[in-house]
Amino acid sequence: MQQLAHWRKALTALLLSLLLVVSVGCSQTDTSPFADTQQESTEQGAAPAVADDAQKGGAFNRFFPGSEGGYDVVFAQEKQGFAEAKLKHEGEDIGLLAISDTISLPTAAQKYESSTETLEGYPLLDIGDTQTGVLVGDRYQVKAISRDPAFDAQARREWLQKFDLAALAVLE
Amino acid sequence: MSKTIYQYVDELPKGGITVNALKSLDVLLPGKWENLVGFTDTIKALTGETDETMIQAIGDRAVYLFNDKSEGYQRAMWLYHTVDSASGALGTAAIANQISDNIPLLGNLVGKVTPKPEQAQSLDLAVKLVAEIVAFCQINGIPGDSIGDFLEALADYGSEAQIRMAALVCFDGLVPLGAPFIEKVLQTVHRAPTDDLEKNPTFKGIDEMIPGEDIGSKRNFIGESVDSVKDWMGSFIADNELTQDKVLDTLSSAVEISKDKLNYAGAFLDIAVKYYAHTGTQTLARRLIERSLAEI
Repeated sequence: MQQLAHWRKALTALLLSLLLVVSVGCSQTDTSPFADTQQESTEQGAAPAVADDAQKGGAFNRFFPGSEGGYDVVFAQEKQGFAEAKLKHEGEDIGLLAISDTISLPTAAQKYESSTETLEGYPLLDIGDTQTGVLVGDRYQVKAISRDPAFDAQARREWLQKFDLAALAVLE
Repeated sequence: MSKTIYQYVDELPKGGITVNALKSLDVLLPGKWENLVGFTDTIKALTGETDETMIQAIGDRAVYLFNDKSEGYQRAMWLYHTVDSASGALGTAAIANQISDNIPLLGNLVGKVTPKPEQAQSLDLAVKLVAEIVAFCQINGIPGDSIGDFLEALADYGSEAQIRMAALVCFDGLVPLGAPFIEKVLQTVHRAPTDDLEKNPTFKGIDEMIPGEDIGSKRNFIGESVDSVKDWMGSFIADNELTQDKVLDTLSSAVEISKDKLNYAGAFLDIAVKYYAHTGTQTLARRLIERSLAEI
């Protein structure tokens, strides 16, 4: 009997320690650098990723440049507040061209306050290592993004100029 | 959805049966599939950006977009994962059927309760193709039944999306059904008893996401999907000189499967190779990251 009691104690201790291991395991915090954003974007009342009054993606298509001289503009994504096309040269992806509505992401527009250059009168900015952007009508961000070193900052400016920026600026 | 987008991408395996099977296909195709894993590494590889603040901002935006259910990314993720797990159930049923072929009494019995593997496999391929179309529309913001837009994009599929379609053609078509698989699939989709379609595990898995109000219109959509992609599939096989033998040869050297177990190869692939979930997660990550980069 004494031996049985001993085993019971041992078993209880084992179960308790297992419980401890499991509960510690479950309460382990998310250590990802994106954990705060995960929390913020999923809590009750979190702002949607795209504002309700953002432009329909399809409304942007007509402001994109067309294919020309061995370069193809191939539409890839069309979501509310966003449209994107691939820029291809002889079948290879060399860049991305995009229009987004910064009404969903005001910080995207605010960064142009530091701009020192303009394109057709709109603030222009080189962003990171691979992007050049222009803010049109204080609302629409137009970007050319490099996928190939040959599509450099100069080439990105040239392709931004091919957008119908003036017409986009008055889109309501 | 309990998992975060970065968990999905961080947990993608660098090796194992699925990755090895896909790599075996990759050597038969032009271009190169890079098995991108890890959320931060994927951002760096896809954008070419090196600044930590920039990478953080891209990732943060991607997390926000993924978590907004109305954006459709979570539905696409669900589709990619569900067709894989549902077709795995089909594989288990197929293996039971194969084994029973050698035991006549049991074979007759099983024959009555499970559809013939060839029919089930044909339906499986067709439904997986529909999942691809619907997920494509969800991710890229195109109306859910737009086969035309999908076909245009298919011609431009690259990297993990191309390898996923190659796996659909080879692992769900050529290997289990042989060269005339496209015709078999088309016939099955049009002629299979409604009951068999409704009971097909892959169909049941994603039924609610297939365009159409009833089983008849859903069947029509599946038929239209296969019909419109059959030429692409035929050219893909011809252009890359793919044969059942060739695929099995490279596959058997990449994963542990002997060529004389051909009858089991399709079922094995169904159970062990989760190529839709794997490459679907990569496609989703790519689209989210590309959009985030352009929006921030």
